[in-house]
Amino acid sequence: MLLLQVLINGIVLGCLYACIAAGFSLVWGVLNVINLTHGSIIVLGSYLAWASYSAWGIAPWTILLVALPLFFLFGYLLQRGVLNRVISARVLVTLTLTFGIDLILNNAMLYFFKADYRRLALDPPLGSLIWGPVVVPWDRIVAMGFALLMTLALYVILRQSRIGRAIVAVRLDREASRLMGVDVPAIYAIAFGFGAAMAGAAGVLMAMVYPISPIASGAYLGKAFVVCVLGGLGSVPGAVVGGLFLGVVESLGALALGPEHSVTLSFGLLILFLVVRPQGLLGRRGFE
Amino acid sequence: MSINRRVSLRWLSRLALVAAPLLVLPAAQAQDTIRFGAPLPLTGALAPEALKQQQGYNLWAEEVNKRGGIKVGGKQMKVEIVYTDYQSNTPRAVQAAERLITQDKVDFLFAAFGSGAAKAASTVSERYGVPSIAPAASSSQVYDQGYKFLFGTFTPNDTLTTPLTRIVKEKAADVKQVAILARNDLFPLAIAQEMEKAAKDNGLDVVFFERYAINTMDHAAALAQIKARNPQWIFATGYINDLVLIRKQMADLKIEAKVLTMVAGPAYQEFIDAAGAGAENISSASWWHPAVRYQGKDIFGTAENYVRLFQAKYNAMPDYAQASASVAGALYQMAIEKAGTIDRKAVRDALAAMDEMTFWGPVRFGESGQINSLEPPVFQLQGGKAVVVHPPAISQGEFRVGVK
Repeated sequence: MLLLQVLINGIVLGCLYACIAAGFSLVWGVLNVINLTHGSIIVLGSYLAWASYSAWGIAPWTILLVALPLFFLFGYLLQRGVLNRVISARVLVTLTLTFGIDLILNNAMLYFFKADYRRLALDPPLGSLIWGPVVVPWDRIVAMGFALLMTLALYVILRQSRIGRAIVAVRLDREASRLMGVDVPAIYAIAFGFGAAMAGAAGVLMAMVYPISPIASGAYLGKAFVVCVLGGLGSVPGAVVGGLFLGVVESLGALALGPEHSVTLSFGLLILFLVVRPQGLLGRRGFE
Repeated sequence: MSINRRVSLRWLSRLALVAAPLLVLPAAQAQDTIRFGAPLPLTGALAPEALKQQQGYNLWAEEVNKRGGIKVGGKQMKVEIVYTDYQSNTPRAVQAAERLITQDKVDFLFAAFGSGAAKAASTVSERYGVPSIAPAASSSQVYDQGYKFLFGTFTPNDTLTTPLTRIVKEKAADVKQVAILARNDLFPLAIAQEMEKAAKDNGLDVVFFERYAINTMDHAAALAQIKARNPQWIFATGYINDLVLIRKQMADLKIEAKVLTMVAGPAYQEFIDAAGAGAENISSASWWHPAVRYQGKDIFGTAENYVRLFQAKYNAMPDYAQASASVAGALYQMAIEKAGTIDRKAVRDALAAMDEMTFWGPVRFGESGQINSLEPPVFQLQGGKAVVVHPPAISQGEFRVGVK
């Protein structure tokens, strides 16, 4: 029974990880930009959810309707105004640029919100789903549901819509898609906007689960990184598979080896995958 | 050749005329102010802790300067605190301390934050013979190097766990089994190990002892194991975000216990706010609490007065972290006034011989430099407030059993 509980914990945790990583994976895969601001955007989303709930009592899932367009716009403008200027430079340049923007974002949050930890405590609390000997907290189930929904929506957009196909085309071959009449800088900005929207929305959902502080951004970024490498770069289903894999391995690892090794285990997996299977579980060139 | 020399001499003398006041000025200033160096992790993971210390130092400095300064011999000297940020990076804390001594020319030092960094940086202050008071280092390993210039305001970790265990034994006699979940970090792990020792010494059965890694984002697996062992007492260590997450996941997984103790979050108001209803009946211990009632002879005098001044300046309740930083300043002040000089050796001797009452409690330093006169309060969160339950002299309420 303990095993079942831990397994279910791992699956739920994995969905949260998938939610954290999906936008990061998209930006990395399409733009070839390792977006180090990802963690900070998640935290910004958490603050948005926290502020709306404590000021006006608006539930996090309602705030998603605001957060998605808001963070899309933020990402779009950031890409158009700043990142596009160096997008064709080597990956180290964009990495350094996003690192710098991340420092600015992070310190701005430290300045405005202080380093205090806050928590969005729903009143009344959602409680837990009790199913025989297994207990699953509702807020995680809700977050998991929305996370899967949004990841699915992103998948459908990439597969079905004209913009989505254009994003995939740019990812496959930038030069050829330009020759086919795709406005590459606009597509870059849209993809980055999608990435930021996913991050912001993830932050809104994580606000229900985790304490909120500017310092959390590094931990989110680290998880996103590992999930992307495990699942495969730029692949949306890859983020889900990678997230689930990581969540389950961490939980079972904590059970078998003790909780102190679960983080070690996840980064050990990262190194193993980089050596043995760098394209990840689902990654291949020419995705979707 | 001779013309050239004459010209250059004339230039030199002019230069000297211009430069002379510049050379004299800092020296004159140094005689009016006493400079204290404070290496702090102002950015990075430990930033929240550093900000607390900074608040404590600043409050003390402001109060001293408001009253004209510290009396040194016949005159009053103002206080200035020089901060350097070591970015939560221990090796940089050592460099920061050295820079404060050699470049910023501070007279005295406050030690870096936490046991690890304080120990590392103390080699520098010892080498230069600069007194250093550590306001946030409790582990006795920090003070076991035979250093003469290092002092600390926290008693060793077992002074927290022993009274805790005793009060639990007394008030909840049916507690037989303890589960300990510790953050794998110097202080949280050290206090967890002390807890294990105290539990065994008092005939309790430690049924679970695991450590979790720094940056752990999920405690469900460990908590599920604890739930399966069904202990009456759960003892978790870490910092605010860890403990808030652990408390929330405990509620999510419907884990209840007779006693839930957490160190070192519950002393902070942020913890009580963040944990919400889950905070009820969590017990903890810390080195100071706003409820202590000592009649001190230091600049702050009493905890009441300290809280009043702190609230006026920061509009928040102080906790032991800020109070410790403030008392470190107040102790320097008392030692300097007693020594009547800012000579480092004389002030060091005054600190070593100190036997004073302060708003923090009675202060005497042991042979190692660590304070040995303090009896840290045990408290419990009741109705969204920290209530002192031990020692009896300052107790505000009864220890309550049961955490849901």
